[in-house]
Amino acid sequence: MKNNNDITLKDINKSYQKGDNTVVVHDHFNLTINSGEFVALMGPSGLGKSTLLHLMGGLDQPTSGEVAIGTQRIDNLKEAQLTKWRAENIGFVFQSHHLLPVLSAQGNVELPLVLTPLNKKERQEHASYALKLVGMSDRSKHYPKELSGGQEQRVAIARAIVSDPNILLCDEPTGNLDRKTANEILELLAQLNRDFGKTIVMVTHDNKAAEYATRVINLESYMVEQNKCVAGAS
Amino acid sequence: MEFFTLVWRNSFRKKMRFWLTCISVMVAFFLFSTLSGVNHALTANVSDSNRYRLITSHKISLTQSLAINTQQKVAALAGVKLVSYASWFGGYFQNEKNQLAVTAVGHENYFELFPEYLIPKQQLAQWKKTRTGIVIGQALADKYGWKIGDQVPLSSSIWMNKSGSFNWSFTVAAIYKSKKKSADNNKVFFQHAYFDQGRAYAKNSVSWLSTEIKAQANVDSVIRSIDQLFAHTNSPTRTTTEQVFIKEQAQQFVDMAMVINLVVIAVFFTLLLIVCNTMIQTIRERNNESAMMKALGFSSISLIQSIYFESLLLLGLGAGIGSLTAGMLINFIGQRFNDFLPGISLTQSHYVTVFVLVNIAAVFCSAFPAFAIKRIVISETLGGKS
Repeated sequence: MKNNNDITLKDINKSYQKGDNTVVVHDHFNLTINSGEFVALMGPSGLGKSTLLHLMGGLDQPTSGEVAIGTQRIDNLKEAQLTKWRAENIGFVFQSHHLLPVLSAQGNVELPLVLTPLNKKERQEHASYALKLVGMSDRSKHYPKELSGGQEQRVAIARAIVSDPNILLCDEPTGNLDRKTANEILELLAQLNRDFGKTIVMVTHDNKAAEYATRVINLESYMVEQNKCVAGAS
Repeated sequence: MEFFTLVWRNSFRKKMRFWLTCISVMVAFFLFSTLSGVNHALTANVSDSNRYRLITSHKISLTQSLAINTQQKVAALAGVKLVSYASWFGGYFQNEKNQLAVTAVGHENYFELFPEYLIPKQQLAQWKKTRTGIVIGQALADKYGWKIGDQVPLSSSIWMNKSGSFNWSFTVAAIYKSKKKSADNNKVFFQHAYFDQGRAYAKNSVSWLSTEIKAQANVDSVIRSIDQLFAHTNSPTRTTTEQVFIKEQAQQFVDMAMVINLVVIAVFFTLLLIVCNTMIQTIRERNNESAMMKALGFSSISLIQSIYFESLLLLGLGAGIGSLTAGMLINFIGQRFNDFLPGISLTQSHYVTVFVLVNIAAVFCSAFPAFAIKRIVISETLGGKS
């Protein structure tokens, strides 16, 4: 039986225009990520790792093919529907945290909850809990400029999980951090996967980071495999 | 954290830029409000004027006289209720710096035509009996401390009396107040009979006629019949409603409404460009944050709303401070220089206009950032293609 939060990319084609040229990023690409997996997407630059992440999160649309989360196809949703869907189902963590400098850590974490029917007190409680989970309770009143890079990324993770999404999409979340801080962040992600059952897809170039994942997909070899299968089938 | 907390904090993110832009808005609305107050002073007399009253003067100009018997001829026309007459005295008190609006009027019925001048019956009766009597405004009485019975010497810059002097002697017989706050309480009226008897030349002539028409009469046809009556005489006339007459007199100095409109258009256009530029710059700086908020689930509409409220705050604060400061200045001028610009004030409708303008400007200033927000592609803004 198909789990409700499996991520399915089926026969994906993705290309974009660069001047007069059409750059093909993905050609008949297929991938399924099971609910509860912690997947590390690896591979050289330019292979379309971030594009896959954006497709899974509804930040981008495939040229053709299907993107589904559980039974919900998202490739054919309109912008307004996608926006609502993202707010309810996906948490994003980017290499740059993109915290709002005018809000404290608490305010930044509360931000996605403004879209929910929760009242002020409930929003504060949820945000405090998320900050506690990432070990930032004592920094809740601090503004981003008063935090270190690792602390900022922890706040960004708290913001990603505060609305309790099933899926976390992380685009090089440790790219700007030193080894020790990166390990702390990765341990945090692994804990969210292990203890809270979050499905995590993480794009990374870092082999050490990939060690925290339950499955590592090297996109280069994965695509070669796929092409062989396609060739074999035809 | 509320949505409006975010709007508030974002507004003051670059404090220097916010306040500089806010000051430019403030100056623009200060100018607009001040000019509107002055315009109100100039047009208050126009809008206060009875639209059933006509002014008839010589066709060439107001400086040319009409024969005094013109009054009886006009009074005999169909649709005419009452006719009186007046002549400009060109007066001043003690020296020419103290200019006064002094008018010689037909004492028999002039104030029946102008019920807006509130004169106690007894005083009016006394004035009619006193040949040298003057009716003065309350403000003038307060200014010079004049009381009923005081002898007041006034001089004319135009009219010499029979003794070869330009100095005329008067007695304060009545003091008027006005029904409306905006009315001029600095005028002086005296009997045309005394004027005619005393002046050295141009006897039996008047500067203009004031005519009240019957309520059911057609204004245009009465105007036509008056002017046709004198069309082929030595003194052809030009008749207009009192509103038009006063407006034309005011426009001889300056068409204030036009000046205000031009200033407002120029200032408003510049203002829009300044605020628009500020908002565009703001959105450009926050491109990544906007993309992040979109990724978090904020719709383009909610981000555009946020920009609209930021524009509204900036414009509203500037316009509010500017208009209130102008209101205080105008209030000060109204108290201190009432002789110079009676009726200077800001009406409630002006503040409504400011409110509407601020909202229109906020919508306009949010329009360009709105396009930018709509065009944000999250995947391109937050992460490169790899």
